[in-house]
Amino acid sequence: MSETPPLLTVAGLSLSRGSRQQLANLSFSLQSGETRVLLGEIGSGKEAVLQALAGYSVRSEDFSGSISVRGQPPFSVTRLKPDALRVVYLAGPAVLPLSPHVGVIAQLSRVISRKLSVPLATGRTEFASALHRLKGAPPLDVFEQRAGTLDPEVLVWALFAAAFAQTPELLIADDPMLGLGPTQAHAMIDILREEQKRAGFALLYATMNTEAALWLNADVTVLRQGKVVEEGAVARLSGEQAHAYTKTLFRAAPRLALGDNSPRSDRRTEPVIQAHGLEFDTNGVREAVTFELRRGASLALVGDRQSGRHALMRAALGLDRIAAGRVILDAVDIGILTDTMLTRLRRRVAFISGDEDVLDPRMTLWDTVSEPLRAHLNLPRNVVAEAGEAALKRVGLATLKSSAPVSALSPFDKRRLQVARAIVSAPLLAVIDEPLRGLDAFAQSVMRDLLKVFRQQEGPALIVITSDFTVAQALAEDVMVFKEGKIVDRGPISEVLRSPKDTHTRQLIDAVLARPAGL
Amino acid sequence: MNTPVHKAAQSLRSAIRIVGFSGLGILMVTMSLTGVIARAPADSTDVGPELTPPSASYPFGTDLLGRDMFSETVHGLSVTLSGALIAMLVAIAAGGLSGFIAARFPWRSGYALRFVAGIFSAVPALLLAILFVGIAGRMQLTIVAGLAVAPAAFARAFDRARRLGTSPHAVYARASGIRESTLLQRDLAYEFRDTFLSTAARALAAVTIVISTMSFLGFGAVPPARDLGLMIASARSAYIVGWWTAAFPALALLLVVLCARLAAGLEEGERP
Repeated sequence: MSETPPLLTVAGLSLSRGSRQQLANLSFSLQSGETRVLLGEIGSGKEAVLQALAGYSVRSEDFSGSISVRGQPPFSVTRLKPDALRVVYLAGPAVLPLSPHVGVIAQLSRVISRKLSVPLATGRTEFASALHRLKGAPPLDVFEQRAGTLDPEVLVWALFAAAFAQTPELLIADDPMLGLGPTQAHAMIDILREEQKRAGFALLYATMNTEAALWLNADVTVLRQGKVVEEGAVARLSGEQAHAYTKTLFRAAPRLALGDNSPRSDRRTEPVIQAHGLEFDTNGVREAVTFELRRGASLALVGDRQSGRHALMRAALGLDRIAAGRVILDAVDIGILTDTMLTRLRRRVAFISGDEDVLDPRMTLWDTVSEPLRAHLNLPRNVVAEAGEAALKRVGLATLKSSAPVSALSPFDKRRLQVARAIVSAPLLAVIDEPLRGLDAFAQSVMRDLLKVFRQQEGPALIVITSDFTVAQALAEDVMVFKEGKIVDRGPISEVLRSPKDTHTRQLIDAVLARPAGL
Repeated sequence: MNTPVHKAAQSLRSAIRIVGFSGLGILMVTMSLTGVIARAPADSTDVGPELTPPSASYPFGTDLLGRDMFSETVHGLSVTLSGALIAMLVAIAAGGLSGFIAARFPWRSGYALRFVAGIFSAVPALLLAILFVGIAGRMQLTIVAGLAVAPAAFARAFDRARRLGTSPHAVYARASGIRESTLLQRDLAYEFRDTFLSTAARALAAVTIVISTMSFLGFGAVPPARDLGLMIASARSAYIVGWWTAAFPALALLLVVLCARLAAGLEEGERP
């Protein structure tokens, strides 16, 4: 009985740019219906593989290596023609693959019609039927809107549908779940696997986080600085026998400890924020809540986007008008304050967010870190300089040029710069909003440690906004779980993890607990 | 965006701006050395024979009254450019700066000003300048020209400042207690650094056109003070027989406007 030749065989794929080798001698093969995960940080070389196979930015003089399709004679890696193999590229909403000013369907229908060489109307029909197949997808008319008006959690459905509508033989997924909450990311992985089972395409999945590799439960190629560190089944790589780098990579992934009974902070410090019957509004749904947060204590607001977490935070800090209830912030009833007085009161509130545009991109690193001191306190220059330098040193940014503009920093550096800015402002209350979103496994691990140290040393009250229970558990002691504008669960985080009262809480926990059998 | 095409476009724009600023620099040096470069005082008649075409003795020729067109053009350039520089400052202060500050006024008053500026900017600057000259008198031409250009600059600066004021980084800064005045200072400092030169160059081009056209139409400079617009206007009768009497002042005017537009990177407004 003759064996089926692999759909794709890549041999000796290398990429050199100038004197720098970005990828060295990568070889692998993929059968139809098979999945391979390329796991590595930014710049590990996985980008080069995607470029070569997806056929963009390929300069033949930079690449070497060969490709063979269905056992045919191999040819140069830069000469992969669309008629030899239908390769479809799937990017996630985090990399903004669509123009924000044009309707989603209009853009994706064009992509589909070009790929399949069919009229635009047929492309639209194909998109609609692919979307219809996806369980839980938003209705088609949602995607008539411009891409810029839709959340990434909604856009991702359209990107998946468009990729599936192109009937790929090889689907190249470029970290499509990056920046999504674990519940949705997990759901989208399930959809990807179901569609792969139905259509039988080979899947090459590039990611910088181990979570997706674990969920896909496939063979993994671990890349570092352009070289293959290790290859094998994820079940083996995540185990004890793995290479040191791989082991560190997998250990950097957060784990939820259901049986964690670490003692709660029992410091009876002064209350920082007290909310009494505070009403907040999420898309027309009103909810009232009473809570208190003392200095050194921490509260996680866990839920999906638009679930009410931000509405509560904004109401509690007086950023939105309070419909009903009272908020006492630093012993002052914010309801009786003017805007100017409220702004003054919020000097002791720091924000650390996973959003890219929290910091002014025009400011320099130094201006950004020293601004809270310069703006709020009339301190001598040397004191400002010392405080700024100490904060930059603590977050590991002291080696960067202080005149570097924020726009030139990497997402991870921007995130650390926010921590440094928070340190110099000596906050009473810090709002930490999806702090790990879009970072690779190592950066997430470093950021988590930085935030823990920040909490221990500066001792502010923390409000942690996240969709990931592992982040909540790492940084907070109490939790409120949000669903569609309502608080469905609340209490000490260890108790909520042990016995969630609501199915939505259970889903959020399962999303980060989920591991393939044996892991 | 960091594509090769984008990089090439950026390099080209930088080169264009360098050429423009270099040209403006040369014109300003000429303006400051008028007394040295011009061979005769302004409006000196009978310096040479009447209507002499350009020659070695009179490189720009002479006009009907025997004035040396080279000297006259240098004097005219000096008058036009010095007036345009003052008008440019007026346009920046009354337009750009005011628009930027008005964007931080309480919502209604800021937008009311924006609305008024929008209406004025819909009227061609030249017609506004004629209207303002009627009110203020032709002696105030430089201020009038600056004010005529200001509404469009006000509207542009206002819109830009509103966008900056509602950008996520400004929202976060306010949420952490940064005062509105600090944010305004920050925006002004960065806008000054990043866009002042191109805004100033664009305003210079606009006010130069307004001042010269006003003078050409008889609403501007009063003889014996002669700017380039008035020189072109007074050469109309001799243009057919002595093209050089209008061509060289026109060329000088073209150089001022072209260099200013090149210095602004050939941009009409704010880059997205």
